[in-house]
Amino acid sequence: MRTGTRWLKPANIFRLFGFGLFIYLFLGFMVLPNWNTLTQIFNTTVKTVDPATGLETVRRDPWAVIRFFFAGNMGKYVLNSLKLGVFLVVTVNIVGISIVLLTEYFDIRGARILRLGYMTTLIYSGVALVTGYLFLYDNNGILTTALVNAYPGMDKNWFSGFNAVMFTMTFACTSNHMLFLRNAIRSIDYNTVEAARNLGARPMKVLWKVVFPTLIPTLFSLTVMTFITGLCAMSAPTLLGYDSINPEIVRLAGSSIADEAFPQARAALLSIILALFTIILLTVLSAYERRGHYLSVSKTKARLVKQKIHNPVANALAHVYAYALFIIYMTPVVMIIIFSFQTYSAIRMKTLDLGNWTLLNYFGQADYSYLTSRGTYRVREGAVSGVFSNADTLGGIRTSFILSAIAAAAACVIVVVAVNYIFKRKKTGALVEYALLFPWLLPTILICYSYRTYFNSSDVWYVGNTNLYYMHNVRLLIIIAYTVTKLPFSLRMIKAAYYAIDDELEDAARNLGAGGLTTMLRVKLPIILPSVLAVFALNFNALFTEYDMSATFASSYGTTYAMVMQSMTREEGLYGFNVNASGRRAASTVFIMLLSGLVLYLVYGVGARDLGERLALREKRRARRAKWAARLLPRKKAAEGSR
Amino acid sequence: MIRLENITVRFDRFTALDDISVQVNEGEFFTFLGPSGCGKTTTLRVIAGFIQPAAGRVMVRGRDITGVPIEERNIGIVFQSYALFPTMTVRDNIAFGLKIKKLPAAQIRDRVADIVSKVDLSSDQLGKAVSQLSGGQQQRVAIARALVTEPAIICMDEPLSNLDAKLRVQLRNELKHMQQKFGITTIYVTHDQEEALTLSDRIAVFNKGVIEQVGTPNEVYNHSKTQFVCNFIGDINRLAEETCALMQLDPAKAHYIRLERVPVNPQPDARMALLRGTIKSREYYGMYIKYTVQTPQQAVRSIVRNDGISIYEPGQEVSLGLNPLNVMSYPLDEEESP
Repeated sequence: MRTGTRWLKPANIFRLFGFGLFIYLFLGFMVLPNWNTLTQIFNTTVKTVDPATGLETVRRDPWAVIRFFFAGNMGKYVLNSLKLGVFLVVTVNIVGISIVLLTEYFDIRGARILRLGYMTTLIYSGVALVTGYLFLYDNNGILTTALVNAYPGMDKNWFSGFNAVMFTMTFACTSNHMLFLRNAIRSIDYNTVEAARNLGARPMKVLWKVVFPTLIPTLFSLTVMTFITGLCAMSAPTLLGYDSINPEIVRLAGSSIADEAFPQARAALLSIILALFTIILLTVLSAYERRGHYLSVSKTKARLVKQKIHNPVANALAHVYAYALFIIYMTPVVMIIIFSFQTYSAIRMKTLDLGNWTLLNYFGQADYSYLTSRGTYRVREGAVSGVFSNADTLGGIRTSFILSAIAAAAACVIVVVAVNYIFKRKKTGALVEYALLFPWLLPTILICYSYRTYFNSSDVWYVGNTNLYYMHNVRLLIIIAYTVTKLPFSLRMIKAAYYAIDDELEDAARNLGAGGLTTMLRVKLPIILPSVLAVFALNFNALFTEYDMSATFASSYGTTYAMVMQSMTREEGLYGFNVNASGRRAASTVFIMLLSGLVLYLVYGVGARDLGERLALREKRRARRAKWAARLLPRKKAAEGSR
Repeated sequence: MIRLENITVRFDRFTALDDISVQVNEGEFFTFLGPSGCGKTTTLRVIAGFIQPAAGRVMVRGRDITGVPIEERNIGIVFQSYALFPTMTVRDNIAFGLKIKKLPAAQIRDRVADIVSKVDLSSDQLGKAVSQLSGGQQQRVAIARALVTEPAIICMDEPLSNLDAKLRVQLRNELKHMQQKFGITTIYVTHDQEEALTLSDRIAVFNKGVIEQVGTPNEVYNHSKTQFVCNFIGDINRLAEETCALMQLDPAKAHYIRLERVPVNPQPDARMALLRGTIKSREYYGMYIKYTVQTPQQAVRSIVRNDGISIYEPGQEVSLGLNPLNVMSYPLDEEESP
């Protein structure tokens, strides 16, 4: 009897409910929809006509889509994606390693400014970045126009297809290098560099034999992640016109059986191929990580001192290379900022009109008159509008903001609760951990595609026979997809933060009488909160500008900011529609950069301060206020005295 | 006060504590001493309730608390790392246990102020983050936090191990002073024999999950019951067979003599066996000098007070005096037995 009562404790009921909910979510939103996609491949039907009778029969042909794959041009998409992945690994690593070495290892003048430039991709990525590059480099882009004017023989369509995707993604995908490789190089024990120099190694030998080996684990992870990014690329191939897997999946998902042969099964097959590649790569990565890392055995690490390049020619070349890269990184950013304040006519003419600045791309509306084919002028009211005055753009911002914020928060909450459990229960915790890492094995496109097809029905009993792809419901589906895809990343980061919690803190709290929930909320959560907030911010930033998933859902009820931006690139100015689309796009990009920058500052700048730093800062402010008051008060008194 | 009865703790197949029994008296400063992994912290965690023993009972003032939840045991702990909550101020750290007990705010304020003055912390440190305090101040906060809930017993798990040598000595004295002021029963875990000898009323010496000896510092140092205890506590010479033969000691036993009981160039004494040898090395400790003397029988170490006059150089010939009365003898270990 006593045992029964103890078992019914609120904590146990809560745990049971939590576990039940977790299993429901895992099976219902990770396993079943994706399993459905997998089985779609083998559910293809073909029509056959009996030549003798002329009768048409429909029969199941599980291998039809596989035969189609080998017979048709589907292989092209896979090969193109693989090609992109392989080439990106080379170019992104070259640029990524270069920028990290130039800012953190070698003594290059102006390294701080260079670093800021190289880090712009942290606040400027995805569709915003690609449309920014298009703005500069496409056939009537500002830089292309300038270059063609200077060199008339130049191909003005140079920025399209594979070259354009490679160029854009090479510079867009170095964010991880700036985050992780930079950390790795900064944590090198400088004593090892000094020891190597002391033993007679020349600077390049030190770099190659001492520094690089310690970076290999990070570089390996970055290489795998870059390859997966290339393989799963979506916004760049879509906007720049390159036939790779993901855009084709989205196209097929939106196609009907009347247009082409079993499009859904083909989309599913491509998704599965993508998933297989991802699984193989992540398996290789985790096997490598398990082999261990090169860790510093030093107890007293010395901070890395930047290395001077003593050869004057090499030094000059390094500086030229560093600043050339800086120009490549900064040009789109600067141009976008400048042109966001330019009139639509200046933007359309691709010329900078220094005497005519406007805020119309941000705020307000204006009418637009244009010449019709009949030779008469027609006015379209409110055709020129700013980001914050345009209903579509504002709607996109609102949708993205709400969906991203909810999903980013949900992912953090789920992971915090799960990690607490994982650290308490080793065996069942491992199962929970694998379940949360499961979405990493599946490309985001596969997950979204699976949701779109599986929940586009009123027969899914465990969601109350509600069609989740119907009208406003799609927003819930997008939130779930966003949350699910952000779980593995959130888990890795928050789990790492959890390791920093000293076991004795929990013991101390329990010894002082705190229960499990109190310990979690009042002791552990405040410690990991900076990391949780950082994860929330990174998730939010990524989701706020994401294009791949919302494009896969392709619903007018879930039109996100990135989709609005993408749509702005089309039919600009035609019949008086979308007149200042480029300007508004530029302003949108500036807005995204500001928002992302602000979020990153709040999280890394303000949120990362510990209590001691916060109290010291408060004390400093109080002292400053007192100092000012002391300065002002005598003046005031003197003024009163003179009166 | 506290009685551990036949406590056994197992981690999978490893037996961390093997049927240990010990009693700690009211108001006593009792130390668990032993090398790393000997079971002393495990015993402390059994008393605090973090570990449930596989067998045995924990009795406090005659009440069996073996199955009592951690928070209901009324035992304060000062952890090795202090385990101060980094996201809370000093005040919040100290008041944490009182807030959990849902005491009125005024009472919490008064009790925090009272304990802060008792552990010699200044009240202007209450608003600081723990990271803004020195190691010594952090230790005081940890003690204040453990004492403010007025526990019946306080357990300290190597609370001085994170401090530098000078501060360790200073705080060691303060710790003893505080314990006497509060009169609280204290269980102290350490692997530092000097700490144990200076602080404790009694010491339990642990080895491989069992208690080898319980006694006062004098008992465990001068009358070590086992070879392990005499080897672990203080520095000691084991006498070689040839030396034992010279001193006519029982060859069926292991014989030890402490370094300070081996005078260099002693006054003639009929009871002493004299060994002649040359100084092999000299270690200078300021107040003391340690010599290693190579004799024909064995290398013998001696520690002598530095009087500034009788300082011997390496290579110098000296004689060592070994008094059989100072020799501690033990039965040979199984592997040593012929």
